[in-house]
Amino acid sequence: MNATLLYSIQSEWMKTKRSAAFWLVLLGGFFTPAILCLIYMVYIEKLAPAYSEPKFWIKWYLNGWESMAYLLLPMGIVLATSLIAQLEYKNNAWKQVLTTPQSLSTVFVAKYTVVLFMMFQLFVLFTIGMYFAGALPAWYYGHVPYPKGPFPWQRIVQMSTSFYITSLPILALQYFLSVYFKNFMVSLGAGILMVTAAITALSWRYVYLVPYSYGGVHFMQLQGRMRFKSNVLDIHYLALIYFAGFTLLAYLLYLTKKEKG
Amino acid sequence: MYCIETENLSHQFASGKNILDNITLQVPSGSIYGFLGPNGAGKTTTLRLILGLLKKQSGRISIFGQTFEKNRVGILRKLGSLIETPSLYGHLTAAENLLLLQKIYQCPKTRIPEVLELVGLSDTAHKKVSQFSLGMKQRLSIAVALLNQPELLILDEPTNGLDPNGIIEMRELFKRLNQEQGITILISSHLLGEIEKLVSHVGIIHKGQLLFEGTLQDLIQKQQESSSLKLSTNDNARALQVLQSIYPEAQQQNGKLALPPLANAEIAAVNRQLLQHGLEVYHLAIEQNDLESIFMELVKN
Repeated sequence: MNATLLYSIQSEWMKTKRSAAFWLVLLGGFFTPAILCLIYMVYIEKLAPAYSEPKFWIKWYLNGWESMAYLLLPMGIVLATSLIAQLEYKNNAWKQVLTTPQSLSTVFVAKYTVVLFMMFQLFVLFTIGMYFAGALPAWYYGHVPYPKGPFPWQRIVQMSTSFYITSLPILALQYFLSVYFKNFMVSLGAGILMVTAAITALSWRYVYLVPYSYGGVHFMQLQGRMRFKSNVLDIHYLALIYFAGFTLLAYLLYLTKKEKG
Repeated sequence: MYCIETENLSHQFASGKNILDNITLQVPSGSIYGFLGPNGAGKTTTLRLILGLLKKQSGRISIFGQTFEKNRVGILRKLGSLIETPSLYGHLTAAENLLLLQKIYQCPKTRIPEVLELVGLSDTAHKKVSQFSLGMKQRLSIAVALLNQPELLILDEPTNGLDPNGIIEMRELFKRLNQEQGITILISSHLLGEIEKLVSHVGIIHKGQLLFEGTLQDLIQKQQESSSLKLSTNDNARALQVLQSIYPEAQQQNGKLALPPLANAEIAAVNRQLLQHGLEVYHLAIEQNDLESIFMELVKN
């Protein structure tokens, strides 16, 4: 990585400080764990048997992904990505960014890296949140046993990576829409529409063509509830292909945009 | 040596409407160049083209003697700009706004308090920009433009939103930067009065066409050339006949008689002539068009 790109990423990262996207990622990461923890704390009588199960952590983690995979994560990506690009539009700052001594590609890559990293941050916060939300009832109530066996970090990281990959097409297309269109409603509206369509498409034979549904598809696969199989490729490969395609499209259209800033 | 040169720069909207028509600008190095024109004349479009914010359709742009397209990053490294409204992040403080640009320019961090001091914002370095007034935002934008110690400053209506005191302060700052550090400044405005005390060179643009380009002295010369001897009498029609027999170019203008500027002795002779013909002279004076009316005259024509 060249120094200019590194400085540019640092600069872009600083812009997210105290921004709406920053708060969204922070709260979004802990939202599901907090809700699940609250539910568990209320239904005390179910805790002891649940915590005694040998695969408690994996089941607990998948519990968290149930709401994340279909709706919360895609919506979070739509919102966070739009908000990051909107930082420039809202503050009339594109013209400032594009008159600094960095190539157009550097600006594009730096901002994109920050968006990717913010999503990574969301996953990390979610995982940490799920761990503490799972451990809290055991620490709080004396009669609830602490889950047996060590926390399965390796498996959790593996599952998180899979979900991360399935989210990449949404991130890429939303990044393109947010950077290309000045109007916040274009990216947000398109995002909401696509997420809704993706949920509907989960029962469609060709759901593998709808990249916004890959998180849900992956979750259903993990649960063994997915009825259809992709005839072509595993959804992770499809997700990476879509991601590369949308990124390339975003990059080319950004470079050839007539009015910059 | 010109710091900025454009040659036959033309630009059209997608509708086909011409915004700029063969603009050939020459901003000498070390000058303060006032780029004047009424609202919608094409000033901002020209500046956006110069900075590469708009895709060039035809013509040539060269900055520091280099073609912009081929040396974009190198040119931008030596340049500071403020285009239209301030470009600042409201959720960050003034110092943070400068810090994120300091990262990119890799200039010393000490430049941050220095530029804040220059624009009079030292006390508000840690205040969120969203709490700033428009004038303060404008000052901070000027600080941003100065952060990398540029050789060239491109400022589009930089005094917008500033109070009269702020306008004077900024004018003094620009003069100082130009004189002490040799920074070339291209400054646009729609008010000649606002920048005539600042600039050394002037370009006047109207409806996408460059109507005048030269030194401020050239413009003052034009002003002197356009001055005239104005007079009024108790019978202007008869007085006009008398005057035209001596000065055929004499004419009636807005209820007064106008003659080309004359020497004192000739003015006295004109007065005598009129009195000898039994006319009463009520008003006799040389009237100079101020720069503003020259500007308006150029724009009207």
